[in-house]
Amino acid sequence: MLFFRSEDDLRSWCRKHGAEPGPAVPVPQLWRLSQVWYGDRLDPEAPRPTPAEARAIFAGVGLTGPFWDPVARQE
Amino acid sequence: MEFEERVRAGILESFVETGAAPSPATIAKRLGAAERAVRGAWGRLREGRAIVTGEDGISIRMANPFSGVPTGHTFESAGVRYFANCAWDALGIPAALGRGGVVRSRCANSGEPLRLEVAGTGPEPCDWLFHSLVPAARWWEDVVFT
Repeated sequence: MLFFRSEDDLRSWCRKHGAEPGPAVPVPQLWRLSQVWYGDRLDPEAPRPTPAEARAIFAGVGLTGPFWDPVARQE
Repeated sequence: MEFEERVRAGILESFVETGAAPSPATIAKRLGAAERAVRGAWGRLREGRAIVTGEDGISIRMANPFSGVPTGHTFESAGVRYFANCAWDALGIPAALGRGGVVRSRCANSGEPLRLEVAGTGPEPCDWLFHSLVPAARWWEDVVFT
């Protein structure tokens, strides 16, 4: 999980590594995800999200589709 | 609170205070517990994916969002430097701590440095992108690679 300065950098890096680019997530969207995912992480009694909860968290910040499905079958 | 949860809380509190991974002996002292009992909880936390350990099964490699080993993604706040496991966790640490600081990382392609001020309300305007090569369903197949 990496940062890229631009879409061009992301595509260039994927070409160099023979990888298919996945979804690019802007920093503000990543922050919203981090707040929901990690906001209560220091609470010792806060449970880790189940796969269904994780799917809902991703969807809640606009990350949908098979790539963001924790139990999806990948081709 | 179950003993295992107390150990997990102690691990995370230790990371928050120092930025470094604690040992079972450190947590045993912190909790006033036997080190043997802490080591037992360590194993259960590893099995439950609350921590990822190195090859010795003891040294903490990850206690998300904190990294127990140096990485290229950091967050500095209140005089403490925290290593993050990945780009996501570089923002996950301020989200977990609920306080501001500075994220440092690099563009994986060009090496251009990223310096991102993060306030309690979130990061300053930034048009950089985050990317995961691995889909969510496969993150734990090799979580260190992910």
